Amino acid sequence: MCDLFSWPRRTVLEQSVKICWFHLMPYRHLPPDFEQKYRSVWVDPPSHLYDAEKAHVLYNEYLDELEHAAAVGFDGICVNEHHNNAYGIMPSPNLMAAALVRRTTDAAIVVMGNSLALYNPPLRVAEEFAMLDVASGGRLVAGFPTGTSMDTNYAYGANPATLRDRYHEAHDLIIRAWTEPDLFAFNGKYTQNRYVNIWPRPLQKPHPPVWVPGSGSVETWEWTSQMNYVYCYLSYSGYKHGTRVMKGFWREMENLGVDDNPYRAGFLQLVAVSETDAKAEEEYAPHIDYFFKKNLHVYPGFTEAPGYRSIKTLKKGVGSNLSRSHSRKRTEMKWKDFVEEGYVIGGSPETVADRMREAVEGLRVGHLMVLLQIGSMPKDLTMKNTALFASEVMPKLRGMWSGYEDHWWPNPISNRAVPDPVAG
Amino acid sequence: MPERPNERTVAVGALPIEVASAGSGPPLLYLHGAFGYLGWPDFLNGFTDRFTVYAPLHPGFGESGDADEFDDLLDLTLYHLDLLDELGLERPDVIGHFFGAMIAAELAAIAGNRVNRLVLAAPMGLWLEGHPGIDYFAAAPDKLRSILFADADCDAALGALPDPESDEQRHLQRIERTRSLATIAKFMWPIPDKGLKKRLHRIRQPTQVIVAEKDQLVAPVYGQAFADRINGSKVEVISKAGHLFQLERPAETRTTVEKFLSG
Repeated sequence: MCDLFSWPRRTVLEQSVKICWFHLMPYRHLPPDFEQKYRSVWVDPPSHLYDAEKAHVLYNEYLDELEHAAAVGFDGICVNEHHNNAYGIMPSPNLMAAALVRRTTDAAIVVMGNSLALYNPPLRVAEEFAMLDVASGGRLVAGFPTGTSMDTNYAYGANPATLRDRYHEAHDLIIRAWTEPDLFAFNGKYTQNRYVNIWPRPLQKPHPPVWVPGSGSVETWEWTSQMNYVYCYLSYSGYKHGTRVMKGFWREMENLGVDDNPYRAGFLQLVAVSETDAKAEEEYAPHIDYFFKKNLHVYPGFTEAPGYRSIKTLKKGVGSNLSRSHSRKRTEMKWKDFVEEGYVIGGSPETVADRMREAVEGLRVGHLMVLLQIGSMPKDLTMKNTALFASEVMPKLRGMWSGYEDHWWPNPISNRAVPDPVAG
Repeated sequence: MPERPNERTVAVGALPIEVASAGSGPPLLYLHGAFGYLGWPDFLNGFTDRFTVYAPLHPGFGESGDADEFDDLLDLTLYHLDLLDELGLERPDVIGHFFGAMIAAELAAIAGNRVNRLVLAAPMGLWLEGHPGIDYFAAAPDKLRSILFADADCDAALGALPDPESDEQRHLQRIERTRSLATIAKFMWPIPDKGLKKRLHRIRQPTQVIVAEKDQLVAPVYGQAFADRINGSKVEVISKAGHLFQLERPAETRTTVEKFLSG
């Protein structure tokens, strides 16, 4: 058991790149021949591969890991939503976030996020996010993903033709429910309500910061900049590929006349730190392998239901994250390739810190999400990865982007309530 | 020598719709399904000596406009009544395949005065537990021929769904197919049971249901399920054929339809 109190307390500079510890909560116990025997980790993985008693341990370990990350000084801890999925056994990130609110004190609670079109009525998102924001004293980041086609169209049966329209209507309703002072009626195409009047309203005003995960479509870039939200590029292809995409993002911001504040952007990176480069390979390679071979083994037919992407986007040739050429290539890659091509930033603390600085600068991102539990990585190794990153890598990133103001970070009240110890 | 169909664009409200037509005589409307029809299927040539055959392309297919303004099946059915008006068809015989059969059944159930006789081929619109059929929305493009035909290598299959000759063509095919399937999905996702079962009893027209022995989308059992709900209707099963049986077995399909229409 790790002694949380031996760690240095958070010493966050006034403005600095924010580093958030992201958990996918993968099922770690898929059989070795999973990808040969079954067609997909998502939508239709057979349930006989799932052991609830093992998952009981996983949920508790994963919450320990997130709480540990908060205790050792990560700026935020992230949870997200997936359905019918053995790479993320977290259909309700809000449940996990509620547990984390009670066991952490300072870290931002980044729910990345709720797929707006799946909630009926979407006021449920407004309510639950408001509850989390109030209970945490204003530490919530509200993530508004569209959701993948696997989650929304296949697992939840949402119509691909109307998914985005539904998302935008849900978004408008949620923002109005958070911000309008009085009860109002909402006559939408998908939601009609005479009495919109949620209790509670969020603590942060006008509402918690909104981050929107996307996969590189220009329409989303335009919309997030218009709404003044953070755009997060969440891919598993790493910072080298990501830099090309984010260059497009920043060019588009310039075209739109929007400033180049790096805090407008977020990015997800897989990271594996050990004492030396060689040791990192030895310790982490099998788990990286599990992640790319098993966790991302998705049947290509599920990656994009017809209508999930607009014909306009398809014509531009914007591919899906999990497109076939990608997945075929990834199954042939080894640790060395993953590290060289930037999918994983792995090695000694020095190597990792250098690469991380290069990534943060090249991507121009103010909100970095790091995946430090990857694939089948067990708790002790995850704790080590987290501890080394916090003590050896994070200090070398502090102060990056200090010349910019982060308008998209939670603004908690200073006088926050803390849980009483449980009486014996 | 079969007559070459005349192709033209009609405006239904603001929506441009491509319509192919040929022949002379009373009107016969053909409503195509989700796949394989992007032209004039051969089997229709068997009817042009006695009928004027009309084959419109659904919204979202080919040069027809998009179904953006339609929200549900009622909108789509009412659009078809507008299309009949636009084509000046008072009471045509209607042959529908799959998605087109569902529209034909909706038309006959809701506006019985606008449909004469009805042929429902591999009809969509009911859902039987234990017979979900293959999820064609999630099917890989290179598997389509083997899904839609009993013999994936027959000439009809290769003609209807040719392999792309270049990456560019593959990309264009993908866009075209995505656009049309997205349109079908808008009305049918994720399960095609959208209320037709409550309306089928209203169909009073003479009705012929046709299914195919090897159809992986609409199992033959659906033939009887439709017939059970439509008074006086008959079912015919085309053997050794898949979902696109009108392409794979044009002669047998034509004979079945002819027998019905001359009865």
